[in-house]
Amino acid sequence: MIVNHLKELYDYRNLIWQLAWSEFKLRYKNSILGYFWSLLEPLLMLLVLYVVFSNLMKIQVEHYQLFLFIGIILWGFLSRATTIGMFSIVGKPGMIKKIYFPRDIFVISSCITALLMSVFESLVFIMFMVYFRVPISINLAYAPLILIFLFIISLGLSLALSALNVFYRDVQFIWQVFLQAGYFATPILYTIDIFPKNLQRFVLLNPIARIITSARDTIIYSSPAKIEDLLFMFLSSIVFLLVGYIIFSKLEPGFAEEI
Amino acid sequence: MTAIKVDHLHKTFRIPHEKRTTIFETLTGVFKPPMYETFHALKDINFTVEEGEALGIIGENGSGKSTLLKIIANILRPSSGSVTALKKLTPFLELGIGFQADLTAAENIKIYATIMGMQKREINDKLDDIIEFAGLEKFRDTKLKNFSSGMQVRLAFSTAIQTDPEILLMDEVLAVGDMEFQQKCLDVLSQYRKDGVTIVFVSHDLGAVRRFCDRTLLLHKGEQVAIGNSSAMIDKYVYAGVEESTHVNDTGSNVENVQSNENIFIDNHKNAKNVEISDVKFFDKFNNESSQFNSLDPMIIRIFYNAEELIQDPVFGIVLYSDKEEHLFGTNTYLRNYHINSIFGKGHIDLLIEKIPLHAGKFLLTVDLVQSKNYIPIDHKDKQYSFFVIPTGYDEGLLGLSCSWETGI
Repeated sequence: MIVNHLKELYDYRNLIWQLAWSEFKLRYKNSILGYFWSLLEPLLMLLVLYVVFSNLMKIQVEHYQLFLFIGIILWGFLSRATTIGMFSIVGKPGMIKKIYFPRDIFVISSCITALLMSVFESLVFIMFMVYFRVPISINLAYAPLILIFLFIISLGLSLALSALNVFYRDVQFIWQVFLQAGYFATPILYTIDIFPKNLQRFVLLNPIARIITSARDTIIYSSPAKIEDLLFMFLSSIVFLLVGYIIFSKLEPGFAEEI
Repeated sequence: MTAIKVDHLHKTFRIPHEKRTTIFETLTGVFKPPMYETFHALKDINFTVEEGEALGIIGENGSGKSTLLKIIANILRPSSGSVTALKKLTPFLELGIGFQADLTAAENIKIYATIMGMQKREINDKLDDIIEFAGLEKFRDTKLKNFSSGMQVRLAFSTAIQTDPEILLMDEVLAVGDMEFQQKCLDVLSQYRKDGVTIVFVSHDLGAVRRFCDRTLLLHKGEQVAIGNSSAMIDKYVYAGVEESTHVNDTGSNVENVQSNENIFIDNHKNAKNVEISDVKFFDKFNNESSQFNSLDPMIIRIFYNAEELIQDPVFGIVLYSDKEEHLFGTNTYLRNYHINSIFGKGHIDLLIEKIPLHAGKFLLTVDLVQSKNYIPIDHKDKQYSFFVIPTGYDEGLLGLSCSWETGI
């Protein structure tokens, strides 16, 4: 069944891409300046947080600006993918009610839209890396794997949220609160070492925390990812995707009636 | 080979009295059982569509036509029963699905064509053709929001027809657009038919159904009335409207008539006491009472009278008006040399019409009863009865002539 569905999705790859790309273009209204403005938000955020945390809070971390930036980009992706994804069904009543193709296509393509948006920020990040002369090592090879886990987790969340949002419209508000809380509960601004050892275990139950720390280790600090972390990320991405798909496919038959 | 199989299909919609759309409402309402109405939209539908066949679906509004089509298209799911499509479905339920106002014509074509299941290379090859066919060469890179609605429909249509469907589901797409556009749609439809595409066609345009569909499914309030030869089904549909009243609403329109036509002599005026035209009914070719008739079909106008006193030499007459009260036709028994000696008690008289020489629309009927050739009025029912004529072809106008073209030498 899974294989069949994957094959079907592969047949629709062109549609997935078209939907993702057109949504991406729409967000910036086709203007080059639009792309530029979209960079301003994370950069300003970076500037403010950097000034506040490195000077006032006296956080002593090597390459703190990059440390922070990677957190902002990765969390930004999760937050954007789930937010766009959450509206990918309720935002397209015309398509849901008038034509049929596998509806997870909407969710997948909205996650790809979010990915395209994050690619821009990543380009700036690479420029930062070059500017600050951060050495890179073979351990960078772990990074794509870690990003794939992040993508799968975001997709799983988006699937569940998009389906629930059709039936319970307050899911969107609840999720925004979750994202806010998660932003501070995840080591984005700080290192995990600020917690006592026994608390760290709890923080690391959050797969995003592991994703961000591992991404930092492999990209900025040239150290390999821990096997334990990789395993945890792998398992949690499977769980998120599975649960997301179960919720989605349970609710999917009612979409056209409910919207 | 069977292309679509519909087996014991039921569809019910639950219409809640008080809709819960949030988690909050669901939690607070957990001890209150939700109240809802069930609406049985489709009841036990069974049929198959063979490959290369065109099936029409007809029925009045709310009979479940569109619901059925959406279930076949997999947009809605059956409550019980099953629908199996053995080939690739292309639904034309709406033109221009997924159009984005902020993207250009070319970009929208690409998205829409992809949605309709075309491959990337195919789209790139046909892009210029599509734009040319829509007559929008100059506006290739114009944003869709700057297009008129007519241009958008043209763009959507010329994209949609580039698809290569195996099974085509069509819902009232033809209903939008002007005559020329509708003709184009029908041309495309007949081309698809020639190419052997299986078509399921939902329409109120009975003429189109008669012309294109091998078989037709007739629905009434969610039930499958019959399936079979298109002409037979259309007759059944047109002549099934028995429950509809043949009366124009009795008091209301009379008051209106009196007010608007002050110079007209008083309605319903009776000289002889206790003699009246009690009712008028219309009968179709199956001798069933009806208010709807196919153009050029036979019809009987039956005038009921109730004469409590004897009337010598009565003359019955009718006058036919269009919906706009244009005088179309009038006749009476005297003019037709049909002599009635006398009437007494209840009875009726029939006017037999071999072919209704009308094409389409609503028609009003005035009925008269006068005494002898001096026209002493007894009863007069001014435009109180009406019937509808439904076109069977693509002619235009009020009148229907049975005619044919022929080339001379």
